[in-house]
Amino acid sequence: MPDLATSWDDPSTTDGASRDLVLEALRLASRLVSSGTRVREARCLLLHNDVLTSVASSRETEASERGRYRVSEHANFDRAISTGQVVDDGSTVVVPARGDNGVLGVITIDGEGGLGDAQPATPATIAHIVGLGVSQSRAVNELQLEAERSRRLERLKSEFLNIAAHELRSPLGIIRGYTSMLSEGMLPNPDREVALSRITEKAEEMARLISEMLETARLETLGLELELEPVDLLEVVDNAVHAMRPLMGPRHQFALAAPGDDIAVVADKRRLTTMLTNLIDNAIKYSPAGGEIEIACDHDEREATVLVRDHGIGINAEQAHLLFTRFGRLVTPETSHIRGTGLGLYLARESARLHGGDITVSPTPGGGSTFVVTLPIA
Amino acid sequence: MEEDVKVLLIEDDVAAAEMYRLRLVADGYSVVIGHDGHEGLRMATDEAPDFIYLDLRLPGLDGFEVLERLRAGTATMHIPVIILTNYGEPELRERGLKLGALEFLVKSDTDPAELSESVERAVSPRALPSI
Repeated sequence: MPDLATSWDDPSTTDGASRDLVLEALRLASRLVSSGTRVREARCLLLHNDVLTSVASSRETEASERGRYRVSEHANFDRAISTGQVVDDGSTVVVPARGDNGVLGVITIDGEGGLGDAQPATPATIAHIVGLGVSQSRAVNELQLEAERSRRLERLKSEFLNIAAHELRSPLGIIRGYTSMLSEGMLPNPDREVALSRITEKAEEMARLISEMLETARLETLGLELELEPVDLLEVVDNAVHAMRPLMGPRHQFALAAPGDDIAVVADKRRLTTMLTNLIDNAIKYSPAGGEIEIACDHDEREATVLVRDHGIGINAEQAHLLFTRFGRLVTPETSHIRGTGLGLYLARESARLHGGDITVSPTPGGGSTFVVTLPIA
Repeated sequence: MEEDVKVLLIEDDVAAAEMYRLRLVADGYSVVIGHDGHEGLRMATDEAPDFIYLDLRLPGLDGFEVLERLRAGTATMHIPVIILTNYGEPELRERGLKLGALEFLVKSDTDPAELSESVERAVSPRALPSI
């Protein structure tokens, strides 16, 4: 009996038992052809996007030499796959193998004489075994990946809960502290004013954190519903800048650039404002040494853009893809003391996408980050 | 009351630092604030405080690094330090106490009045006239 190649190079079929099943089918296939005919090789090829790739062979061939074939360029493969029938041209037998979602590959038997007097039902049985083996292997693979994904998500969720709890503790500490000092009656008047406005600010901060968390939970289960209305983008940008001005340190400056005319978009005004305040808040927080925060609006016939650029810490390019994910706050030694749950950016991009736009980020030349919001023009 | 007792707050949250300062000043202490780890460490030497409140999550050096360096410096090794943080995890508490912090307080569970009480407990033996 011909030896089967031991190397197997289909990344979607890693389950050992299923793989053995396919190899056993291939052994059967190599004995299919009647006695007197010399079998040169039996192979198993898997189909992916119109390309058949050989994953196992009865000959000891290097995986790289076993071949890849574009189905449309090989009539026998094409016919076997499109009809689901065994194709036998006298020198090569091509047997399609079916999985749950159609043909997933073929087995081929090369040898003078073709099927000869072999039982016609046998190739179908072999193809069935191959189909079962590959399908099962892929299912096992998918389950393993899914389990890995859900373990990762669980871990991220508990890390996130930890971050969120600490984020809530910080304003709570201020509220409790000032409340206790006020109720003791120990604060003289100007300090009492400060205390009251701090309590208000911190209560708002907590409310914002809580609504971000609720919005995220809602997005996950029900999706967001936008309350769309015609909006002047410049007005929303002005409001966002105005709202964030008190958070700016003395070392920050805003630089605003806008065209002379209005920019009309159809948007959920509240969410658009939140999106922009989140980006500005981020620009402030991630440029602790200060510097200019540029906010520029522009538009053409199709879309409006708002650019928010800082000259701060910037984002590690390798981690940038995590930035807009649900629990993807990037914590590095440089940023671990900076407040925030990371939900703001996630919600901002989800909201931009629901509006038919997007948010992208790129490094600011010389250091820092540049976020660009795009929105379709009304 | 204790006019001559100086407290250093090493705290990057401006609102929190301001609140604790108000409370301590009202109770008669003089207060200086270091806004990050490096500044706090420098002030611990330059200002010669009698007492230090130390946050853990700080820009530059974190609170544990600051505490280690305070304990290693001849001018700062005997200054009592209390950790005042939003993080209450037992392993952090244990680490802080092992590094020589007198107490480990969680901000949201600590009434600002307790700050002055802790300072008083820690510095009063020295304020008493020697017999």
